[in-house]
Amino acid sequence: MEEKKPFVKINNISMWYPQKSKSLSQVIKREKQWVKAVDNVSLELQKGEILGVIGESGCGKSTLGRALARLEHPTQGDVFIDDVSTQNLIKQDQRKFRRTVQIVFQNPFDTFTPRDTIEKILMRPLKLHGIGKSEEERKQKCIDILESGGLKPAEEIMKRYPHELSGGQLQRISILRSMLFNPQFIIADEPVSMLDVSVRAEIINMLVTLSREKDATVVFISHDIALTRYISDKIAVMYLGKIIEYGDSETIINRPQHPYTQALISNTPSIDLDEIRETIKVEGEPPTPVNPGPGCYFAPRCFKATKNCFKHYPDTVELESGHLVSCSEI
Amino acid sequence: MVTTKKGWYVGRKNNNKLNRTLLKVKSDTELKFGLIGLSLLVFVAVFASLLVPFDPYFFGPDVLNKLGENQHILGTNHLGQDIFSMILYGVRTSLMVAVGSALISAVIGILVGGIAGYFGGKIDLVITECINAFMMVPTFFLILLIIALFDSSITNVMIVIGLTTWPSNAKLIRAQALSIRERTYVKSAVAMGETNLQILFKYIIPNGIFPVLANTTIGMSNAILTEAGLSFLGLGDPNVISWGQMIFMGKQYLTSAWWISTFAGIAIVFTVTVFYLLGDGLNHVLDPKHKSRKDA
Ligand SMILES: Nc1ncnc2c1ncn2[C@@H]1O[C@H](COP(=O)(O)OP(=O)(O)O)[C@@H](O)[C@H]1O
Ligand SMILES: [Mg+2]
Repeated sequence: MEEKKPFVKINNISMWYPQKSKSLSQVIKREKQWVKAVDNVSLELQKGEILGVIGESGCGKSTLGRALARLEHPTQGDVFIDDVSTQNLIKQDQRKFRRTVQIVFQNPFDTFTPRDTIEKILMRPLKLHGIGKSEEERKQKCIDILESGGLKPAEEIMKRYPHELSGGQLQRISILRSMLFNPQFIIADEPVSMLDVSVRAEIINMLVTLSREKDATVVFISHDIALTRYISDKIAVMYLGKIIEYGDSETIINRPQHPYTQALISNTPSIDLDEIRETIKVEGEPPTPVNPGPGCYFAPRCFKATKNCFKHYPDTVELESGHLVSCSEI
Repeated sequence: MVTTKKGWYVGRKNNNKLNRTLLKVKSDTELKFGLIGLSLLVFVAVFASLLVPFDPYFFGPDVLNKLGENQHILGTNHLGQDIFSMILYGVRTSLMVAVGSALISAVIGILVGGIAGYFGGKIDLVITECINAFMMVPTFFLILLIIALFDSSITNVMIVIGLTTWPSNAKLIRAQALSIRERTYVKSAVAMGETNLQILFKYIIPNGIFPVLANTTIGMSNAILTEAGLSFLGLGDPNVISWGQMIFMGKQYLTSAWWISTFAGIAIVFTVTVFYLLGDGLNHVLDPKHKSRKDA
């Protein structure tokens, strides 16, 4: 079914942070504790596809996003876009990489420097990347872009400072700005979670429409499962830095196989499923990803866990075409 | 402090940035008095040559005149120089030392601290150690030593004060940079393809500079005191008129001609107070914690 070559290939991306040694014995032994915020994540995305990444807060979604956008250097792994290694690309031509990969942040109120007007904020990247021949041309481009995003009157808005605009307006500007370069790969890290419920739908629609228009590939990070299902082609479920289940969005929602995914979805009342399912209770808080394992990370909280689960991390198995699960009991 | 609530609210609604700043300034008494004092000092410094009744460098025949004697409002010293005119010229020296050393101290401090805080890691480790080492040095004695060994021109005094006072600025901006670099707007600047240097100068420093501004202003009053101290010890620039020197020279006449030292002392206290008020006022106006307390 899916013989097309993937456009974005995320290859074993890991993001580990050294943890400050807390106990004396650790200091003496010089044991390094690692916070494995993202651990060996591999995913493939087709061109123009939207992949939703869901999971509890603290499971490493934002860290994955930052690593993909190369705001931080991943501890390990690489991302290939159209067979080009981004690790090499960013070394050779970091501006080109930035034009290819863009990120929309969670907090629109902090995305822009408080000291500049929207005009300066939009003009700066254009100038930096040599887009537009003259100041007037660039300004006209900013006006056009703002108006296309429903921000009218554009001239008026360009004179404003970020704190004088609403969260919805700011997030629109943030999305429009990231689209300035026609990026091929966009990461959206919970782009509406900090906004009023009333404006969420428009912002999401705008993001999706613009991405589809440009045939951009999108990683959509969210903890809102209903929303993710609504916009995504594929869904990846994350737990403690690892992808534990991946597949078509409807498959994941309607036929989740991993116990964690089942629990996650059964706890989302706003979602309408093909069948009615019982709510699965998960005990305890998600632990922090400090040297987890050796078994399945979810095993301590899992309602299906057996002894086997605590021995080693389960392999990933393909259940049906394009539906991957990491669970020892399947 | 009489910070009116009105000031903040009107400020927020008002789109005019300048207006907003003015409202903040008006609402802080310390800053207001500081600014008035500063304007007065700057005015005197600029127009000193027009304002003085006598040439302060002129060794006249009126030696050790009392207050008001022979039109010398504040009397004269043992060399026949007019004290009032000397005081006015002394403003120039003090301001020059203050501004010059503050600039040097701020520029070095901001660059060093900004780089340490923004780049972090090993660079930060090394720089922080340097800053700490510098902070342990007894500054005044270092200045004393350098000035005693080298030429005691006013430029040297300025440079030496600047070179010994930057660590506090560096510490302040480093702390700012450490937190600002985690802000989303810095990450978004990285995502837009800006280089580290562009980010340092465009986002980190401008957004973290306020505590340094306030600190520098207070540093200016210290610089004035240091210069006065050096002059008082006879290590000042003999070619310029400075208040410290006047106190130094007036010391031996303290019982017979008290006015030589006293008015110079008052001038120092006034100027130092002005800069202190300015610095403290700036701290109040620019400190977000202070702001929210007033808002609540
Ligand atoms: N710079 C960092 N240093 C140390 N730990 C970090 C850092 N960034 C994130 N983490 C840790 O990584 C984990 C995942 O964080 P995050 O990616 O923000 O989760 P999410 O976005 O899914 O809520 C958290 O446990 C967090 O404490
Ligand atoms: Mg997050």
